[in-house]
Amino acid sequence: MTRVRGARWAGAAAGRGGGTGVLAEVHELRKVYNGTTAVDGVSFGIKKGEIFGLLGPNGAGKTTTIRMMATTLPMTSGDVIIAGHSVHEDPAAVRRHIGVCPQELALYQELSALDNLVFFGLMQGLSRGQARARAMENLELVGLADRARHRVSRFSGGMKRRVNLAIALMSRPDLLFLDEPTVGIDPQSRNHIFTTIEELRDQGMTVLYTTHYMEEADRLCRRVAIMDAGRIVALDTPTNLKARLGDPEKVTLEDVFLQLTGRRLRDEG
Amino acid sequence: METRARRRSGSSGIGVRPLALAGKELKTFFTDIQMLFFSLGLPLVLLVLMVASFGGQEQFRATAYVVNLDRGPVGTELLARLENVPGLTVELLDEATAARRLDHSQILSAIVIPPSFTEDVSSGRTPELIVRRRGTGGDEGQIVASYAIGIAREVTGEHLVASEVARALAAMGSPVARDTVDARVTSLLAESRVNPPVVVEEKAVGARIDPVSVYLPGLVTMFTLFALTLSSVAIVEERKKGTLERLMTTRLTRGEMLAGLWLGALGRGLFQILFLFTLAGSIFRLFTLVSLARTLAFAFVAVLSVAGMGLAIAAIARTGEQANWISVFLTMVMTVVGGSFFDMSGARGILAIITRLTYNFWANDGLRRLIVRGGLLSSPAIIKDLAVLAVFGAISWLVALVFFRIRGDAR
Repeated sequence: MTRVRGARWAGAAAGRGGGTGVLAEVHELRKVYNGTTAVDGVSFGIKKGEIFGLLGPNGAGKTTTIRMMATTLPMTSGDVIIAGHSVHEDPAAVRRHIGVCPQELALYQELSALDNLVFFGLMQGLSRGQARARAMENLELVGLADRARHRVSRFSGGMKRRVNLAIALMSRPDLLFLDEPTVGIDPQSRNHIFTTIEELRDQGMTVLYTTHYMEEADRLCRRVAIMDAGRIVALDTPTNLKARLGDPEKVTLEDVFLQLTGRRLRDEG
Repeated sequence: METRARRRSGSSGIGVRPLALAGKELKTFFTDIQMLFFSLGLPLVLLVLMVASFGGQEQFRATAYVVNLDRGPVGTELLARLENVPGLTVELLDEATAARRLDHSQILSAIVIPPSFTEDVSSGRTPELIVRRRGTGGDEGQIVASYAIGIAREVTGEHLVASEVARALAAMGSPVARDTVDARVTSLLAESRVNPPVVVEEKAVGARIDPVSVYLPGLVTMFTLFALTLSSVAIVEERKKGTLERLMTTRLTRGEMLAGLWLGALGRGLFQILFLFTLAGSIFRLFTLVSLARTLAFAFVAVLSVAGMGLAIAAIARTGEQANWISVFLTMVMTVVGGSFFDMSGARGILAIITRLTYNFWANDGLRRLIVRGGLLSSPAIIKDLAVLAVFGAISWLVALVFFRIRGDAR
């Protein structure tokens, strides 16, 4: 299996984050858009080295929460502390510790995979040489080293998703936000992304993971928070959540999810 | 260790990031074949087409439609001399065809040499030349008629002179034969045509206006403006797909992002003007090295002023389609009203005010002063152009700074 060269991820090794083993703390986070409350007093903590799942139906407020945590969306109230820095007070310091893999394919289709990664590396403050070396490491990690110089526009959906992930790793973040990274791709690419995330976890990276696929969350996440209508309705390990409904061996996380959020159809709004 | 290294490289990244962003923008530009053709190829093609259509025809060119009913030598001589007029083509028609084409407005005038033309000249009668025309006969018809009448007078005059000289000699009882008289008179008249008693010299007032040098500034300003305003579509699309927001999770600041996008647009605009002026200049031999340098220096300021326009449009537009329409509308209005292809300096009233509110007016004015009139950058008129362009640039920047958004949706 491909491994990233070098030491374990800096955040885990450096031991930052308030000294309680918590890398990110979300306190009473609220976001109101034009009178509509998208996120309503959400609080949770993410421990160092864990994959934390944020689940919820469409419009539950997952992406809004991630955007506020990633400093790109101003919060109405509350705060987020990442690696000891307040998103509200010092977003620039927070950005030094995070990597974001957005739900959209936020990359440049007309450039090669390598050029995309090098460009984002430069934006992260790396020198050209550093960016290039790290880009090759990341492309190897996501299984695209042999396609490094190919234009992204010629890639399949799954390959583009992997480039999207590789870009987020350019800064060697302490906390990685993965917003539905496997949506709309083939099983092989999906499996490759799982393997990559597990490898990152094994190396000590902390991940905030959102998905609609419950089996993904069950497989990857140590703990999950289920959101609905801007609130967290449950937060525990997948096993404990399943135990609420019965035998964890027989109950699925999807059963728990539907039990908590209901069977009513949801649309993005 | 890693954290320290990262902090070090982060602090050294200030200034590098906008350049890297600008570099990425340029790379994208140079890999987009359609955009390259639109920005560089199309203006050249249009320039060549416009010059071919409207430029370069200084010599008079016309067709004389002649119905020659005379079979004698004087009519033939008249036709031969008409054919010798530079730029004039003689097309012989029969009487019915000429009448029909005049009726159908296919031609506007026809010259008819009557059957008795030679006979009238030979017998000393006043010959008749008929000009049939539709209305005034048009400019071309009137000029052709003037030529025909002048030549007819010349030819008949020569024949009359020869006849009169022969008649006078005969009356005096001279033994000189008529052929000898005709030959001598013809030779004297030919000599007078070569060395006319009055020499007419035509001089054009002012420098010759080369259509290339008139159209080139208009085309360059139009396409530079178009390409740079259209860059707003790409920015809006980036915002929509989340690339700009993703950039904001890096160490790039909003100011650095705007600076990078602006530098990218500036680089594209500069390459465009350098390419177009240098290539068109060398093809049409417009510039000396010094005048090219002057023109490029002025164009540099013009591009500086308009480079922020794409950002300003991207700041205002919510969708790529909106950005596209704003770009097309702005470019078309500024091109037409700004006098890219027609001289708008004489516009009065409200039109004069609107004209002066366009980027193209000032850019075209300065470029034409430099290229057509050989002006200097230090001349007050060109300094005024530069100052107004700088104000345009400042306004674009202000709009971009105030209204530019990173996020693409309302949520």
